[in-house]
Formats: sequence, structure tokens, C-alpha cells
Amino acid sequence: MGWEELRKKQPRVVKTLTNSLKKNRLAHAYVFEGGNGTGKMETALMLARAFLCREKNGVSPCGECSDCKRIDSGNHPDVHIVSPEGQSIKIDQIRGLQKEFSYHGMESEKKVYIVEHADKMTVQAANSLLKFLEEPTSPTIACILTEQVHRLLDTILSRSQVLSFSPLPPDLLVEALTEEGISLPLAKITAALTNDKSKAHEICREEWFAQARDKVIQLTEGLRNRPNHVLVTLQENWLSLFKEKNQLDIFLSLLLIWYKDLLFIQLSEPDKLIFIDQEDRLKEQALQNSQKRLSEKMLAILTAKQRLGANVNPQALMEQLVLRLREG
Amino acid sequence: MKFKINRNQLIQGVQGVMKAISSRTTIPILTGVKMTVDSGGMTLTGSDSDISIERFIPAEENGEINLEVQTPGSIILQARYFSEIVKKLPDETVEIEVGERFETQMRSGASEFSLIGLDPEEYPRLPQVEEQNVFSIQGDLLKMMIRQTVFAVSTSETRPILTGVNWSLEDGQLTCVATDSHRLAQRTVKINSNATELSFRNVVIPGKSLNELSKIVEDSEELVQIVVTNNQILFKTKNTLFFSRLLDGNFPDTSKLLPGDSKTTLVLGTKELLQAIDRASLLAREGRNNVVKLVTLNENELEISSNSPEIGKVFEHVAITSMVGEELKISFNAKYMMEALKAMDCSEIKILFTGAMRPFLIEPQSGDSIKQLILPVRTY
Repeated sequence: MGWEELRKKQPRVVKTLTNSLKKNRLAHAYVFEGGNGTGKMETALMLARAFLCREKNGVSPCGECSDCKRIDSGNHPDVHIVSPEGQSIKIDQIRGLQKEFSYHGMESEKKVYIVEHADKMTVQAANSLLKFLEEPTSPTIACILTEQVHRLLDTILSRSQVLSFSPLPPDLLVEALTEEGISLPLAKITAALTNDKSKAHEICREEWFAQARDKVIQLTEGLRNRPNHVLVTLQENWLSLFKEKNQLDIFLSLLLIWYKDLLFIQLSEPDKLIFIDQEDRLKEQALQNSQKRLSEKMLAILTAKQRLGANVNPQALMEQLVLRLREG
Repeated sequence: MKFKINRNQLIQGVQGVMKAISSRTTIPILTGVKMTVDSGGMTLTGSDSDISIERFIPAEENGEINLEVQTPGSIILQARYFSEIVKKLPDETVEIEVGERFETQMRSGASEFSLIGLDPEEYPRLPQVEEQNVFSIQGDLLKMMIRQTVFAVSTSETRPILTGVNWSLEDGQLTCVATDSHRLAQRTVKINSNATELSFRNVVIPGKSLNELSKIVEDSEELVQIVVTNNQILFKTKNTLFFSRLLDGNFPDTSKLLPGDSKTTLVLGTKELLQAIDRASLLAREGRNNVVKLVTLNENELEISSNSPEIGKVFEHVAITSMVGEELKISFNAKYMMEALKAMDCSEIKILFTGAMRPFLIEPQSGDSIKQLILPVRTY
């Protein structure tokens, strides 16, 4: 992979970075901010290669020397990548990084640090990261990667250059997915969930994902036809399907997309629909919901998603959500 | 790559480099041990990126053949499994052959292992040694120097540079300084170097690396060669190379901290003082800086005391050889004092005080190759 390929995805970011490389005016810390699959990690690794490669041609690393190869395989001793251990980035991980900061580089003076999902840092970890963002010693670059830039401390943002990665247009992804034999309805839904092609593929392959889609339809239909029954069927059917937390998260995202579709129908913009094969059902349900109520329901789903991130018991969470959706 | 090697030699070699390999590393390749074979012998390398150890097994030594090389090459094998396997192999010799895609066959007697190797290109490159910047120190002296300074390094990470010992070489004199900002240990040594104009400053070696090093260096008069590069320092003994990364940053200038004159000078036995303070510190409390008090009584005696209101108190008289200057009452941390006294390798010491609130200096009775500086504790 070279700058050229990244430029297709992120023209603006690549231009900023290559220009600073050319003029030798790289910042000591960057915050790469943007949605899942927008190429943050690729760009960070590319920057590391361009920074450390000893045989680079202009701003492009050669991709052949041992520095480049080892960055690709994660074995370069002067490139340190920190990603969350479990739920969060612990202070010990940052301490390890801090120790690395206090040493000379292993092979050259230059060092690169990449912190993935930096929003998942604990407060203590974030504060101790600050300390060495403040006092860079030898030529080092810190890349802080995050999907939720507003969750980073202001003090971190103020000490680094923020580069925003624009999301991939979903239309392009849908096109790419349908070309590879994925049906259009499924492609639309996955494209709404992620911007990353490989991740979209992964989701499409999962068996439970197809079921999850059916469950969304069942749930909303259930809410319409037999609201008193929904809680019972919830017990029997759904919770066993979503064992993992991220599965439940995707289910909630699908539910959110469904309500968004309802809103599109009411706004008479049927070409923006995502559940395109369910247009009839959507139309029926749209008749029974006012716009205000729809937005309340969407708010309820968003709250549920947030609570899921805070480790609320999934069953209690779903029951509460269903009760709130039923109110309307 | 294909070769046959004496198993005992291999065991020793692997155990030597295993000291540097840590199972908890963020760089996957460092869980492996690197083997390079050429006609001269075999080089084993292990590293945790802070320290790296390289062992050389010569093909032939003292008329005995250790190694029969058929084709040279190199490979990386998972250190944990490799070292266990080598220990338990049945025969006197081991045959190792690397095939396609780093698959490694190990044969010994009737047993055969096949291990999946890693690409040796992925391994970190250790700095190339330039022979002209070499100086050497006797092994036992090096160990002594480490012992006399490394205890004083800081254990807190708030100022990372203080977790190392600062080495500097000027006019053929090597100075090692360690401080945690409450006390300071300094040792100077004359060295014999081929390049007399060789000098360096601000080479800060992590205390942890020095502790590891002193486990490896033998207590003999054999010379250890030392090379300083930009990022690393190398210690070279007969068949072992020990690399350590250096700390980044500027070590504070400590030369101005050492007081030039003194108001009170005491000369007394090291052991007597050490034991008296050791006893007094039994009642001193860690939470209160281990405070022990020293009071000069007359020309021949001083008093060591400690007082913890809720436990009790202790007084002890210690005979001194001489006292010059003003009378003095001073309190200090017993732990620092004891560690400093343990590092003195002479029977009589000289303590130079410049007042109850100023740091004091401990030196050998004759000579000034060791200096220990301790800050007193303010008491009310």
C-alpha cells in the first residue's frame, strides 16, 4: 500500500501529511479521528513507514527494506502500538509507553507510537499520556486514533494536530459489495453499519446476522400487532441469539436503521431506504407512528446503546427498551 | 541452514541469552531466540528491547569441535519451547536443519522435533560495533562499580532519567553517578584505554540493565570491553555481548552538588557506624523517613539515637577516631545511610558536614574514588 491508494480514500489527510513530510515539518502528535474503516490505522502505519524507512523515495517509503517490512508485521522495535486490553486502555499500558519514551530508540533516534481506540483510555491513562505529549524529547511521532474524538480530553486535543478522516460514501461500498455477489438488501444494511469493506464481508458471512435482521422485523411487527406479547417472546427468542455484547450492539443499530427508514417514509424519501425489501411493512408501520414519537423511540434506542457500553445487564436493557418502544 | 552442535554448548548458550528474553513483550518477534551460523561458529541472540544478549559458540575451542556447519544461515525459534526442548534432548549432539519457509528440524538420538521458525530479517538490528571507541575495565572492578552506585538510582518514574546511572569519561577517568534527588552515589575509576582521547558525557544506563549485567559478568580480573554508541552501550566479555539501551534526556549536573569545604569532619570505623545505625533504625519508621539522629559528644565519641514516641527510643555511643570543627546535631534517613556505608569498601571513612541543614559527604579515609552524598532530614 502506498500514499496513492490512501489518497483515494482520504485525499485531504494524505495531502496534509505528505506536504509536512516533504517540508520536514511533521507534528510530534497527531489525532486521527474518523469512523470505523476510514483507514486511520493504515495511514498511521504508512506515516510510520515514511518516517522510519531509510531508503525512501521522496515521501514514499520503499516498502521493501527491513524497516518497512517489520512495521507491516508488527515487529519493528521502535514502533509501539497500544490497543485496548479488554474494555479499556489501562494505565499500565500507558506506563509501558512512558517507559519507552524515556529510552533512546532501539535502532535509530526516531520512534513512533500509535494508540488505537484512544477514547477507551481510562482517565488516569489519558492524563499520564498527556505528560509525554507535552514534552517530546527525541524525534518521535505519536498517532492517537479514535472514532469518538469528543471523548478525548481537551488537553490531549490541544497538544496535537487533529486530522479528520471523512467517512466513505456508503453508495460506493454497496456497489462494491453487490459486485461480489452479496444481495442488494443485505449490502445496503451492512453498508449502513460499517464503512469498512472487509468488516462488511465479515458481517455478511455471520449466520446470526441474517437472523438478527429477521428479529428486527419480528420485533417491530410484534410491537404493532401484539404489544403485550413482546416481552414474553423476548425471553424465548432473542436473548439466546445475542450472546456477545457486540452482537446486541449491532442488533440495536439495525433497529435504529429501521426507525430511520420509517422516518424516511414519512418524509416521502423512499429512495433513501435501507430495508428496501421491506417497503410495504415499513409503510404500514409508518402510518401508525407520528414523527415526534419516532424520534422518541430512536432516542430510546440510542440510550440503550449507551447503556450497553456501560455494562448494563442485556436482558434488563432489552426489556426496558421494549417497554419504552411500546409506550407509543 | 544445516549444522550439528554439541548439546551442552547449546544449552549453555541458550540459557545465557534467555536472561534477556521476556515473555511479556509487545513485539512478537522478541519472544524468539535468534541463531546465526557461519563457518566460525554460532551466534545466539535474545532481547527484550531494553537489553540484548548475544552469545557466541565457536566452532572449535581448545581442540574440541563444538559445531559442524554444513550450510550457514540464520533462524528465529520460539525461545520458551526451544530452551525446554534443548534441555531434554537425549543425545550428546543436536542436528538442526532449516527447510522451506523457516520450518526447522531438530534431531538428537532417536527423537526429532519440527518447529515453526520465524524470519530472521524481522529481528531488531543491534548496533554495529566500531572497534576504535573501545575501553576496558576488569570484570570484578566493573561489578564493584555497579554495586557502589546502582542502589542510589530513583525507583519512581516521575523523572525517568534518574532511574539510570550517568557514566562519563574524560581524561582517562570514568565517573559513574546515580541519584534519586535525596542522595547521590559517585564512583570514579582510572581506566586504561587504547584511545586516550576517548571521551563521552551523559551516557545514562538504566539501573535495571546494570543489575542484569552484574549477574552476567564474572568476578575475575578478565577485562570487559565497553563500547558506547548513540543509542546503546555494549559490554563485551569473552563470548558474550551485552547491549543495553540508554535513557533519553539530560542527566542533571551533579558536580556542583558536592560541597567543597566542611565545617565538621569526622573519621570513624565504617562497620561500627553501620551497625550502630542498623540497630537504631529498628525503632525508626519507614513512614517517617527512617529518621536517625547523630550528635557529636566530644573528640572521641558521638551518639546515634532514634525516637518513635509510640514505640520507644534508643541511644548508642560510637567511638570515633577524630573530629575536627564545630559540634553538630543532624538527622538523616537511616536507610540511605546504611546503603551508602555498605557501598564503601574501606574500614575507615571520613564524613564531611557543612551544617545540620546541608547535605553531607561520605568518603573513604584516604582517596576520593567513592563519594556518597546524603540530604539530611529536617526534624522539629
